[in-house]
Amino acid sequence: MALLAIIFSFDVHAQNLNATGQVTGKDDGLPVPGVSVTIKGTTQGVSTDVDGKFTISAPSGSKLVFTAVGYQTIEADAAGAPMKIVLPTSSNNLTEVTVVGVTIKKGDLTGSVGSVDEKVLKERPVTNVNQAIQGRVSGVLIQNNDPRPGGGSSIKIRGNNSIQFGSNPIYVVDGQVIEGGFNTINPDDVASVDILKDASATALYGSRGANGVVLITTKRAKKGEGKIDYNAWAGVQSFTRNIPYLNAQQIVDLRSDAYANRYIDENPGADRNAYIQSLLAPGGSAAFGAGELEVYRAGQSYNWLDQIRQTGIQQNHTMSFSKGSEDGSSAYVSFNYTDQKGLLKTSNYKRFGGQVNLDQKIKPWLKIGTNTNFTRTEERYIDGGVFNIASNANPLLPITDTIPYLSWKGIQSQDLYNPIRSLNIDGRGNQNRLLTTNYVVATPMPGLNIRSGFSVEARNQNYFNYVPRDLGQSLRNSTQGSATHRKENWMNWQWDNSVSYEKAYGKHNIQGALSFGLTKNDYDYNQVDAWGFATDDFSYKYLGGAFLKDRFVLGSDFVTNSLVSYVARFNYNYDNKYFATLTGRYDGSSRFGNGNKWGLFPSLALAYNIAREEFMQGSKLSTLKLRAGYGIAGNQNIPNFAYRSLYRPTFTNGSVTYVSDGRLGNPSLRWEKQKQLNVGVDLGILDNRITLNADYFIIHNDDLLMQRTLSATTGFTNRIDNVGSLLNKGLELNLNAQIINQKDLQWSFSANISSYRNRITKLYGNVDAIYNYGGFTGVEIQREGNLFLNKSLNSIYTYKFEKIAQESDMARTAQIDYGGRTIRPGDIIPVDVNGDNKIDDADRIVVGNTDPKFYGGFATDVSYKGFGLNAVFNYNVGGKRVNYLYESLLGGTGEYAAHEDELNRWTPTNTNTNIPRAYRGSGRYGAGETDYSVQSAAYLRLSALTVSYNFNGAFMKKAKMSNLRLYLTGSNLFTATGYKGYDPEGGDGYPTAKMIVAGVNVGF
Amino acid sequence: MALLIVLSGSCKKFIEEEPQTALTEEQVFSKLDNIEPLLLGLYTSWRNTKKDRGGFMFTLGSDEAQQGAYQVQTDDRQAGLDRYNGFLTASNTALAQQWDSRWPVIAAAARIIYSLSLNTEEGARKNTILGEASFIRAALDFEVSQYWGEIPLIDQAKFDEYGTRRQPLPLVYQTIISDLETAVQYLPETQSDKRRATKGAAIALLGKVYLYAPEASGARDYAKARDQFKLLVDGGRYQLVSNYADLWDPSKPNSTESIYEFQFNNTYPDNNQTQWQMGSRSLAEIDQYCYFGGYDLMVPTQYCYSDAGNGGIWENGDLRKNESIRYDFTYKGRTPTLNPSFGGDELDPHVKKYEDPRTDGMLSFWLSGKNIFYMRYADVLLCYAETLNETGSTSQGVDLVNNTIRKRAWGGTLPAANMWNAGMSAAEFRTNILDERMRELCFEGWRRMDLIRTGKLVDLVKQRNKWTKQSGTIQAFHNRYPIPLQEIKQNDDIEESDQNPGYLNN
Repeated sequence: MALLAIIFSFDVHAQNLNATGQVTGKDDGLPVPGVSVTIKGTTQGVSTDVDGKFTISAPSGSKLVFTAVGYQTIEADAAGAPMKIVLPTSSNNLTEVTVVGVTIKKGDLTGSVGSVDEKVLKERPVTNVNQAIQGRVSGVLIQNNDPRPGGGSSIKIRGNNSIQFGSNPIYVVDGQVIEGGFNTINPDDVASVDILKDASATALYGSRGANGVVLITTKRAKKGEGKIDYNAWAGVQSFTRNIPYLNAQQIVDLRSDAYANRYIDENPGADRNAYIQSLLAPGGSAAFGAGELEVYRAGQSYNWLDQIRQTGIQQNHTMSFSKGSEDGSSAYVSFNYTDQKGLLKTSNYKRFGGQVNLDQKIKPWLKIGTNTNFTRTEERYIDGGVFNIASNANPLLPITDTIPYLSWKGIQSQDLYNPIRSLNIDGRGNQNRLLTTNYVVATPMPGLNIRSGFSVEARNQNYFNYVPRDLGQSLRNSTQGSATHRKENWMNWQWDNSVSYEKAYGKHNIQGALSFGLTKNDYDYNQVDAWGFATDDFSYKYLGGAFLKDRFVLGSDFVTNSLVSYVARFNYNYDNKYFATLTGRYDGSSRFGNGNKWGLFPSLALAYNIAREEFMQGSKLSTLKLRAGYGIAGNQNIPNFAYRSLYRPTFTNGSVTYVSDGRLGNPSLRWEKQKQLNVGVDLGILDNRITLNADYFIIHNDDLLMQRTLSATTGFTNRIDNVGSLLNKGLELNLNAQIINQKDLQWSFSANISSYRNRITKLYGNVDAIYNYGGFTGVEIQREGNLFLNKSLNSIYTYKFEKIAQESDMARTAQIDYGGRTIRPGDIIPVDVNGDNKIDDADRIVVGNTDPKFYGGFATDVSYKGFGLNAVFNYNVGGKRVNYLYESLLGGTGEYAAHEDELNRWTPTNTNTNIPRAYRGSGRYGAGETDYSVQSAAYLRLSALTVSYNFNGAFMKKAKMSNLRLYLTGSNLFTATGYKGYDPEGGDGYPTAKMIVAGVNVGF
Repeated sequence: MALLIVLSGSCKKFIEEEPQTALTEEQVFSKLDNIEPLLLGLYTSWRNTKKDRGGFMFTLGSDEAQQGAYQVQTDDRQAGLDRYNGFLTASNTALAQQWDSRWPVIAAAARIIYSLSLNTEEGARKNTILGEASFIRAALDFEVSQYWGEIPLIDQAKFDEYGTRRQPLPLVYQTIISDLETAVQYLPETQSDKRRATKGAAIALLGKVYLYAPEASGARDYAKARDQFKLLVDGGRYQLVSNYADLWDPSKPNSTESIYEFQFNNTYPDNNQTQWQMGSRSLAEIDQYCYFGGYDLMVPTQYCYSDAGNGGIWENGDLRKNESIRYDFTYKGRTPTLNPSFGGDELDPHVKKYEDPRTDGMLSFWLSGKNIFYMRYADVLLCYAETLNETGSTSQGVDLVNNTIRKRAWGGTLPAANMWNAGMSAAEFRTNILDERMRELCFEGWRRMDLIRTGKLVDLVKQRNKWTKQSGTIQAFHNRYPIPLQEIKQNDDIEESDQNPGYLNN
C-alpha cells in the first residue's frame, strides 16, 4: 500500500496535464469570462475567455482555484477531460467596501455584520432599500410605518440604544455619511447592503455608530463585456384590511342604548322603551339630529371613506449600462423612474434620477473615481387629516360636498372638515438631491495606499400647500385662503484622508491605517404662510396677491454643525487563523460646549478561524469561526446648542420681545457612550451548504442623552441631560441552507431570529421615574414614553383593566373610592393594585412593553430549471401595542364612529362579554384610561411571494440577451395577527397596502 | 505629521459653532438693551395666561359663573372645577395647565431681578426694569398663592436657602409685599406703552395684597390696604368713565379707569379667543362669524343673571346688567332655536363683556381680541370702601359706593330707592359689597379670590352654582386647589405628603 502510494505520487510529480473546461454561473447558467484560474499553491494562472473557457497546464493531481468578482471561490481537481465548473454567486459579491475615508476588505470587518446582496434585494419589487432588506438580517427591525406613497420605513438595529435622540442608524453610501431621506436611494443601483451591528464593526464611525451603521455600496461594472440591463415592474395596490365599522342603523341602536342606560341609571324603574321612542321622534331629540333620523328611517347608511379612495398603481423602471476593463477602470451609468399613485385620491409620488459610478486608472499607481447620484422626487399630498375624518365619519350623514364640516347629532364640529372638500387642498412637495463621492488613491509602493476622498450632499426640498377659500379650514380660521411655502436646503460635505499600509511577513499579515476627516453640515430653511386670496385660481403660486399681510407668518433658520475625526486602525492576522483589529477614533463635535467637545472611542475585535486548523482538515465543518469584540460607540444626535439656554426675538403684542424656547441649557452635556460587547460564532457544514451565524451582545449605554421635562417652578420646560443608563442584551441567529442543490432543482431556505431585552438601570439622582406629559392640555401623564428604573424603555404605564363589572361585583366595588367615578354593571373595573380600596396614582403601573420578545424573517427559494418560487415572511412575537384607534371606537356613546365589536356589548342579557356597555355621559372609566386596549402586536406576514421564470441558453443566444427574467410578486398578501387596528407594525393612522406586481429583468 | 499638527490647531476652530438665530442666556442678561425686550416678553406671557380657555379656569366653579351644560357633559376633568368632585384632584389637567403657564414667567422675572443686581449700567432705565420685573413676579406670586396657598419662592440670590419647596405663607406674602414696594418705588406714574405697569398699578395691587392676604399669612392689614387705595383716590389720576358701556367698547381702550389692562387685538397671536369660550353654540351654528357666537365654556349662574325679584342680583335700572350679560340672541333678524341635542343652556343668558363686534361678519369669533382688564379704578373704589368699612368707617364706605360706583350704574343719577343706607351695619355692608362687586366686576377674574378671602366660597358656590349644587360635594378644603401631580413628581422639594389637605394624589 505504502509502495503504491509512493509510486503514485512519483507519477503525479512526473507529469503535467492540460486541464481544460468551461466556467458557468450557477444562477444563470451563462459562461463567466475573466475568471482567474490558478494552480493551488502557485502563482501560475490564466483567465477564462469570453465563452468562459480555459486551458491550463497543471501537474496532475493538483487543484485549480477559480476566483471571480461576485462569485464564491471554489477549488477543483485538475483533470484532462473537459471540466465543468459552476460558480455560485458570492453572498458578499464585493470584496471590499469603502467606509469613511478608508477602503477595507470585507473580511476585515471583524465584528458583527449582516449582509444583503443584490440577489436578495431583487426579490422584492420595492422602491426603497429599507423595505428590500426587511426581515432579511437578524438584529435589524424594519417597520413600514408610513404606508403613503413614497413613505419611508423605520429601522432599528439591536433595539433601542439611545433613549430619545438618534435611535436611527447612520447610512453610509459609498463612503458618504447621510442622515435622512433614505428613500431617494434606488434599490436597483445597490450592489450590497451591509449592516454593522457591534462596536468593532462600527468602530470606524465610532462617534456616530451607536445605533448601528447601514453601509450601502452601489453597483460597479464587472470586468468583461459591456452590459445593458433593464428592470421594470408595475403593480396594483389595495388596502390590506379595513376596520369593521358600525353602519347607520347599528349606530342608532348603540346611541339609543347609551342614552337609555343613562336615563335608567338616573331614573330607576322608568319606562325604557317609551324613552327610546321619544328619542326617535321625527323632529330630532337630545340624542338625534332630525337629519340623522331621516337617514335612519330610510334605512340608509353612508360610507364617506369610499369617496376619497382610489386604486393605487405603481411602476418602476431602471436602465443601466456598465463595462469594466482589465486595468481596473470601469463605468456604470443608470437611470431610474418611479411613479406611485396613492390609495387616496390626489396623492402620488414620482422619482427619477441617475447614478454614475466611474473608476479610472490614471497611472499604474494612481486611480480616481466617483460615485454620483442625482434624484428628483415629486409628491402630491392628501391633507393629513382626511383619511381619519373620512373613515370615522358619521354613517347617518348623507354624503355631500356642500357642507364645510361633518356633524354628529346634527351638530357640526369645526374639527371635522368635510373630507370631500379637503381633496381640493393643493399640497405638493419636491426634492432634488445630489450625492457625490469622489476619490483619488495613490499606491506609491505595493501595500501602501494614500487616499483622499471628498463627498458632497446637496439637497433642497420644497413644500407647497394651498387651502382654498371656501373650505372649513379657511372659514374656521378666517384665512380667506391660505398658502404655505417651505424651502429647505442641506449642504453637507465630508473630506477624508487616509494612509494605509498592508504587508505580509510569512504568515503574519498586518494592515494599518490612519485617517483624518472633516465634516460640515449646513442647513437652512424658510417658510411663508400667507393668508387672504381673492381667487383660488393661482393656488399657492402667487403670494404677492395675498392681502391679509398683517397675518403673514414668516420663519427661517440657519444651522451649522461640524465634526473632526481622527481614526487609527490596526489589523493583524496570522495565517488567516487568528485575527485582531484595534481601532481608535477621536472625535470633536460642535454640538457640545467647550470642554466637552471631544470623545474617544476605542474598540478591539478578535477572531479565531478554527476551520483552518490542521486538526479540522477533513472535518464536515467547512467554517468555524469564533468572534469577540468590545468597544465604545458614541452618539451626538441632540438638538443644536442644547448646552445653552436660548432666547429668540418674536414680534407680538406690538413689539419685539425675547422669548426663551423653554429649554434650560446644560453646559456639561457630553457624548453619549455605549460600551458594547459582542461574541459570535460562524458555522458552516457540508461545504457551507448550511451556514449558521450566532451573535450575543451586551450593551451598556451610559450618559444617555435625553430631554427631561422640568418642574414648572424651574421656569423652563425641559433640559437635555446625560441621564442614566440603559442595559441592552440580545441574541441573534442567522441560518442559511441549500437543502437541494442539483443542476435542475435547487431549494434554499434562510431564516433569522433576533431577540433583545432592555432595562433602564439608572436615571438621574435618586429618581426612579421620568414621566412623559402630553395630551390636550400638555400636562397629562401619557401611557407611553415614560421611563422607569429597572423597566424597559418601551414600557406602557396605566391602570390595569380587571374586568367588566357584573351585578355580583357591586358589593365589592362599593367599598372602593374610584375618585369621582361610578361603576355599574357593564362598566370597566380597574385593578386596585395595592389593595388600599382607593384608585389613585399608586395603582398606575407598568402593564407591559412594546418590545417584541423575538422577531425576524424567513425566506424560501425554489428553482426548477428556469422556474423560481420565492417567499419572504416576516414575524414579530410578544410585542404589545396601545390600540388608540380601537379604544376610540369603543366609547360606547354612539356619538362617534364605533367598532363592530360594539354589537357584542354588555347588556343585562349579554353579560358574558368583554365589551363595556353603552353609556352616554361621564363618570365611568373609559377604555383609554386602563390597559384595556393594549393588544398583542404579534404577527406573521407573507411580505413577498414571487413566481419567476428565467429564460435559458438557446433562446437567449438567439435573442442576443444575457438574461431575461419575468416575475409576478404579491406583497403583503396575508398577515396573521390578533391586533384589531389597521396593522400591528404600520399602526393605525392609515392602512397598510398590499400589491400585485408584474416585472421583468432583461440584460444584453 | 507636521500637517496634522497644523490641522489640529485649526480643528479647534472648525468645531466652534455659535447659534446664528438665537441669543444665549449670557447675551440676553448681559445688558439692558437685551433685558428690556425680555421683560416685554414676560408681559406677553403673563397676558397669555388670561386668554382663551385657560383665562377662565379660576372663574369656573364660582357663584357668578359656571361651565355650559354641553362642556360639563363632555369633559369630566374640567367639569370637576364646577362639581368639586373626585375629578378635582392633583391630576386635574385643567388646573395643572394654569400652574405650568405661570411659573416660567415668575422664574424669568426672578432671573431679570437677579441679573440687574449684577448689572453695572448707569441710569434710571435699570430701576424701571427692576420695578417692572418685581411687579410681574409679585402679581403672579400673589395669584398663585391665593389659589394654592404655600408656594415655592423663586429667588436666584436665595436659591440655596429656598430651593423649590413650598414656603410658609408669612414669608410668601412678605416677599410679595417687598416686591411691590420695589415696584412702587421705581415705576413711573405713566407709561406711554400700555403694556407696561405703572406706579398706580403697583399701589393698587399692594392695597389688594393687604386686603386679600390670608389671615394665616399675618399680612392682612385693612388699614395699610386703605392707605394704599386712598393714595390713588386722592391722587386723581384715575377716574371712572361716565358711561359703563364705554368700558366694553373696543374703540375706547386704556381709558382713565384702566389701572392695568392686557393688550389684545384681532390678529393671531395677539387675539384672545375669549368669545370662542363665552359665546353661544346656537349662534355659532347659525353663523360662524356672528360676534356673539361661541362654545359656552363659561356662562353666568342663574344668580348672576337674574333680577333681585327672582332671587338674583340685578335691581331695576342698573345699566350694568345689559352691558355685562347678553339676554337677547336675535342676530340679523334671525332668532335661533335650541338644537335638542345641545346641552340645553345655549340660549340662556351669556357673558357679554368680551364680545368683540369688530369681528362681526368678517372674522371668526376665535379672533376676538378686546383688551382684558387686570385692574380698573372701580375695583379700587370698591376695595377702598371695603377697607373703610373694616376700619370702622362704614358710613364713609357707603357714601363712596353710592356716589361713585352705583351712581354711574344708574347713568349718573342714583334714584333714592337704590341708595345704600349710610346707617347699615358693618356686617350688612360686607354682604352688600360682595354682591356689588359681582354686579360691577363679574367675569373679570376676581370673584374666586373675593369668595376665598371672605370665607364664603363653600356656602355661596353651593347655593348658586348649578353644577356644584347638583354634585353636593364641595368642602372647606376646596378653598385651595391641589398641587399638580407632575409638580410633585418632578420637583424634588415637594413630596406627596406636601399636598394640600383633602386632595388625593391621583
